[in-house]
Amino acid sequence: MISHHKKSAWSYFNFTRILGAVAAASSLLATPLMAADNSSTGYYSLSGESDTVFRMRTNIEKNNIYPIYEYLHFDLTKTLKDGSSASFYLGGWGRADLADKSTDKYTDGDLQYGYLSYRAAKNNVVINLGRQFVTEGVATERLDGVYLHSDFAGGFGAAVYAGKPVITEPNFKGGNVVYGTRISQSDSQYYTVGLSALKSERENNSRYREEEGLDLWFHPLDQIDMTGRSTYNSITGGWMEHAYALSVIPLDQLRISADFSHVNYYDYFFNMTASSFSFADKLIDPNEKLTTAGVALSYLPIKNLTVIADYKLYNYEIARKAEYFGGKVTYTLPQSFAVGIGLHRMEGKADHLRYTEYRAYASKQIGRANVYVDFINLEYNKRINGVKNSYAVTGAAGYQFNKTLLLGASMEYSRNPEFDSELRGLLKITYAFDTRLGEGGRKNEK
Amino acid sequence: MRSKFYILMVLALALSTLYACANTNSIIRKHPEALAGLTACSECHESTLGAMNHQATDFYKRHGSFSGANPQVCAACHQQSFCSDCHSHKEGIKPSEKFFIDAPERNLPHRGDYLTQHRIDGRVNPVACAKCHGRQNNERCKTCHR
Repeated sequence: MISHHKKSAWSYFNFTRILGAVAAASSLLATPLMAADNSSTGYYSLSGESDTVFRMRTNIEKNNIYPIYEYLHFDLTKTLKDGSSASFYLGGWGRADLADKSTDKYTDGDLQYGYLSYRAAKNNVVINLGRQFVTEGVATERLDGVYLHSDFAGGFGAAVYAGKPVITEPNFKGGNVVYGTRISQSDSQYYTVGLSALKSERENNSRYREEEGLDLWFHPLDQIDMTGRSTYNSITGGWMEHAYALSVIPLDQLRISADFSHVNYYDYFFNMTASSFSFADKLIDPNEKLTTAGVALSYLPIKNLTVIADYKLYNYEIARKAEYFGGKVTYTLPQSFAVGIGLHRMEGKADHLRYTEYRAYASKQIGRANVYVDFINLEYNKRINGVKNSYAVTGAAGYQFNKTLLLGASMEYSRNPEFDSELRGLLKITYAFDTRLGEGGRKNEK
Repeated sequence: MRSKFYILMVLALALSTLYACANTNSIIRKHPEALAGLTACSECHESTLGAMNHQATDFYKRHGSFSGANPQVCAACHQQSFCSDCHSHKEGIKPSEKFFIDAPERNLPHRGDYLTQHRIDGRVNPVACAKCHGRQNNERCKTCHR
């Protein structure tokens, strides 16, 4: 058995290794960008943000924990005179708990993305290399690999990607390699139609994921917009999901939104990596099929005031149906003042699907300061752990010292089925920078 | 073997021709104006760009369709750090806590006591959970779901 000290040391080693790798990758990959002569070929820009977050809370074992987080992301870009650009993007975070060092999880960190990118001035050519987030049709994947995109004649476009999937595997192993493509045909004024496919294999080349999809985006008039996607699982031989949404704006003040989806659980939840989404844990019934249909009306009686009414039906093949409906009124003056109240009701046949949800919030900008209060209450029809109302009140304030530095703090008090009384605090310091090194070395900093 | 080589050559030639004939202007790398808050793209843009109105009630629901169809448009204003705030590989702080000051009107997930609520939402529509936690950011699920 490994002692806590050994686990902690190992955890610390991982944390420092991640930071070291980030620093090494930064310097290595940024060097070619810095090497060129900027006076004759364009200019550099360097921008980024650091968020330092300190939290104070109690965990489920009733221990006080004081984790401190550092979120850091930046991009270094060289823009050439022809409009093309080469960039290096990096983002990640690290955490250390200042109070509880008793487990191997008191430090942690993650490289969220880190990649080199080239974007051409013509044909939407994009070449990305490194850890990145790819969204192309059926793919919403983070991978260590390569991504290419280009436009072609006739409104066609194509993207391909391949790499090692960046996933977490708490209970089950995932794929070892992922690759895929999307081919689209579009008229940017009116429509886009895409066909996409994704394949992921395990170490022994066995089939892990094989998904194909059709995505649509129709915009025949300024007042009508429709998006949707159908995704098929080739391994299980069934449709995973059909999800479509329609927006209609019959009047300037009125927006009608409707959505429809149908999901086959067996095809959708096939080969997830956490037991909570697996069929083995019995939380997900593979024979279940869910159909949802929703509609929302959004009306602006006067400028900045929005009144919303919405309804959503959840219809199951096995479980009993549920309906979620309610409304919200908001008044928003951009960058100045916002207030909103909402009331929703979940009305299901099962006890746990019968509750009423209340929310009210307000925020106000006062000079360089911003204050904010938020109240959320859930009133259950059937008590959970003896609790009828679960509520949380959050108060927060922020102060913008200058364009680059923001200090904020929040305090949340809640009473819920897990905690008789819970108090959480958070401090956040944000430092943002954006520097441009222009031709002749001109430097602008905001 | 030779026939495969010819097929590859023809494909390469066809792709090169299609590429050369496309002659489209790339979407700008960085939006010329700095934008803050929930942006109404339709105030300046028409066509499909205008449809990506962030103030629309259904934008949160549809943003995945927009990014899946044209990720370069999103990239003009958002870096991948913006996606990672929610769609993360691993994450320590839920978005509604991390961005408490930024915009209370934003549709940030998991507000309030989500420890209790996740059991309800997970039964109502586990698909919504799986989009962020199915194969990523799910290590803490194991604390209870062993």
